[in-house]
Amino acid sequence: MLDSLMLAFQSIFASGLVLASLYVLMAAGLALVWNTLGIFNFTHGALMAAAAYVAWTVADPRGLDMGLAMGVIAAILVSAVLGFLINYLLVAPFLGQKQIVLIAVMTTLSGAFFIENSALLLWGPRIKQLDKFVDGSVRIAGTTISGHEAIIILLAPLLMLGLWAFLRFTWTGSAIRAVAQNREFAELSGIRVQRMYAIAFAIAAALAGLSGIMLGAIRFITPGLGGEPLLKALIVVILGGLGSMPGTVLGAYLVGFGEATSTYFLGAYWTQAVLFLVFIGFLALRPNGLFGKP
Amino acid sequence: MEKKLRPTAIAAFFAILVVLPLVNDDSYIRHISIIAIMYAVLGSSWNITLGYGGVFNFAHMAFFAVGAYATGILTKTFGFSPWFGLPIGITASVVASVLVCLPVLRLKGVYVILVTFAFGQLCLQIVLNQRELTGGNFGLVSIPPLEIGTFSFRDYQNIGYYYLSLAILALTVAAVSWFSRSRFGWRVVALRDNEAYAVSRGVPLSRIRLLTFAFSAIFPGAIGAVYAQYVRSASPDMFGFSFLTLALSMLLLGGTGSVWGPVAGAFVFTILSEVMAPLGPGRYLITAVLIVLILRFFPKGLAGIPSLVAQQVRAARKPKPAAEAA
Repeated sequence: MLDSLMLAFQSIFASGLVLASLYVLMAAGLALVWNTLGIFNFTHGALMAAAAYVAWTVADPRGLDMGLAMGVIAAILVSAVLGFLINYLLVAPFLGQKQIVLIAVMTTLSGAFFIENSALLLWGPRIKQLDKFVDGSVRIAGTTISGHEAIIILLAPLLMLGLWAFLRFTWTGSAIRAVAQNREFAELSGIRVQRMYAIAFAIAAALAGLSGIMLGAIRFITPGLGGEPLLKALIVVILGGLGSMPGTVLGAYLVGFGEATSTYFLGAYWTQAVLFLVFIGFLALRPNGLFGKP
Repeated sequence: MEKKLRPTAIAAFFAILVVLPLVNDDSYIRHISIIAIMYAVLGSSWNITLGYGGVFNFAHMAFFAVGAYATGILTKTFGFSPWFGLPIGITASVVASVLVCLPVLRLKGVYVILVTFAFGQLCLQIVLNQRELTGGNFGLVSIPPLEIGTFSFRDYQNIGYYYLSLAILALTVAAVSWFSRSRFGWRVVALRDNEAYAVSRGVPLSRIRLLTFAFSAIFPGAIGAVYAQYVRSASPDMFGFSFLTLALSMLLLGGTGSVWGPVAGAFVFTILSEVMAPLGPGRYLITAVLIVLILRFFPKGLAGIPSLVAQQVRAARKPKPAAEAA
C-alpha cells in the first residue's frame, strides 16, 4: 500500500514538474504582453508551432542540416521578428480604441489562423519531430526522466529569473514596467511607449518560440502544436492573477502538478474536463485569481 | 431616407429568400443558402449578449453545439420523436447558457472571454469522454431526420430544412428587433454603457444578465437542433476554434449592436468563402487578412458602411471653409 502510494507520488512529481516547467515558459510570455499592453495574445500558440517548424528546417538533415544549436537560434530570432510584426500589424494600430480587448482577441486570433495555415502550406501536413537536446536520462526522486525533460525543468526557473532581472535591473526593463503601470506618465518622462510595447511583444514571442522548440522534441510538430498548451497557459495566467509574475509562476506549478495528479488517478481523458471545471469554479469564487488586484 | 427604405429592404430580403427555392433547385446553392441562414441566426442571436449586452460571451457557438448534441442523443439513442428536436435543443441550450452565466455574473472584460471559452472546452472534453453516448472523436452520426408521413424534410433538395431555417431566421430577427426596442433591451444597453449608473437607478444586474443569456440561447439551440437533423450528425468540431472564429468574424464584420449587421455579415461571408473555395488553404489566409483590414478600416462593420459613405458624400458636397484652405 505504502509502496504503491510512494510510486504514485514519484511519477506524479516527475511528470508534474515537466508540465509545470513547460507552462512557466509559455505563460511568462503571455503574462508579459498582458501586463504591458493589457491584451491577450492569441498568436502565442501559433508562434510556438512556427518556431518548432523553423528549428526543424534549419536543424534536420532533410532540411538545411545545420545542427540543432543553429536551429534553436534561428527559431528564436524568427519568432522574435514575428512577434514584432504581429505587434506592428495586428495590435499597435488598434491601441486606444474603446473595444481594444475584443478587437485584439479578433486580430490575434486571425493572426494565429494566418500563421497556422501558412505553416500548413509551407511545410505540408506530414508531421515532424525535433531531436532531443541531449540524449540519455536522469534519475530524480526515484523516477527516471529524459535528459531533455531535465533541461526543461532547469530552464524554466532560470529564464524566469532572467526575465525578472531584465525587468528589474535594465533601463529597458524599467521602462517596460513604467509603461505597464502608467502609460501617460511614462510618456511624459520621455519613454517611447510604442517602442516598449514592441520590445515586450518581441520578448514574449521569443519565449513562445523557445517553448515551441522544447515541445517540438516531446510531441510531434503540427500547425496546431501550440493550441492546447495555449489554453493551459491562459488558465495559468488567470489562476495566478493578471498582472502578477510570481502568481503566474505559482499558477504554472499548481496547474502542472494538478494535471499530473489528475492524470494519474482519473486518466488523461477526464483530466482536461476536471481542469476546466476547477478553473471555472475557482474564478467564480476569486474573480481576480490568486495574486491579482481587482 | 434610411428609415423609409428599411421596411421595403426587409420585405425584399425575405421575399428573395422565400422565392429562391422556387426558381432554383440546384442542391449546391440550396446547401449554401441553408448554411448562410443558419449562420445569420447564430450571428444575430450572439449579437444580443455581445453587441447589445457588451458581454464578451465566447460560449455562443457552444450553445449551438449543445443544442445539436442534445437533439442527436435524445432522438437517436433514446428514441424521442424527431419532432421533439426543437424543444430539446432549445431547452439544452438555455440550460447551458444559465450554467455558464452563473460564474460570469461577477466577472468583467477579458475574464468573461476566458470563462465562457473554457466552458466550450469543458463541453468538448465531456463530449470526447462520453464516447458511448456522443461518438467521441468521430461525432454522432445517423441522427433521425424530420418527416411528415412519407414526406421527408430532405426531399426536393432539403426544401423542408430550408424553409424551417428561414422561419427560425425570421423569428430571430423579429425577436432581436423587438429586444432592441423593449424595456428589457434598454436595460441591457444601459448596463453595457454605464453599469454603475444603471445599477444605481435600480436595474437588477444579475437578473438581467441571466435573462439576456437565456434569451440569446433560444436561437442557437433551435438552429443547432435543425442543423443536427439536416446534416444528420454532430461533431466535436462544433466546439472548435475555427468555427468560433468564423462566426465571430461574421458578427463583427457585419456590425455589432445593429439588427441587420450580423445577418448581412453571415450572408456576405458564407458566399465569399464559397467563392474562395478553389484556393484551398489559401482562402484561410485571405480570410484572416480581410478580418484585420475590415476591423482596421471599417470598425463598425458592414452595417456602418452606408453611414460612412453618406458622411463622405456630405463632406464632399459641403464647400470647404476658406479659413481651412488657408
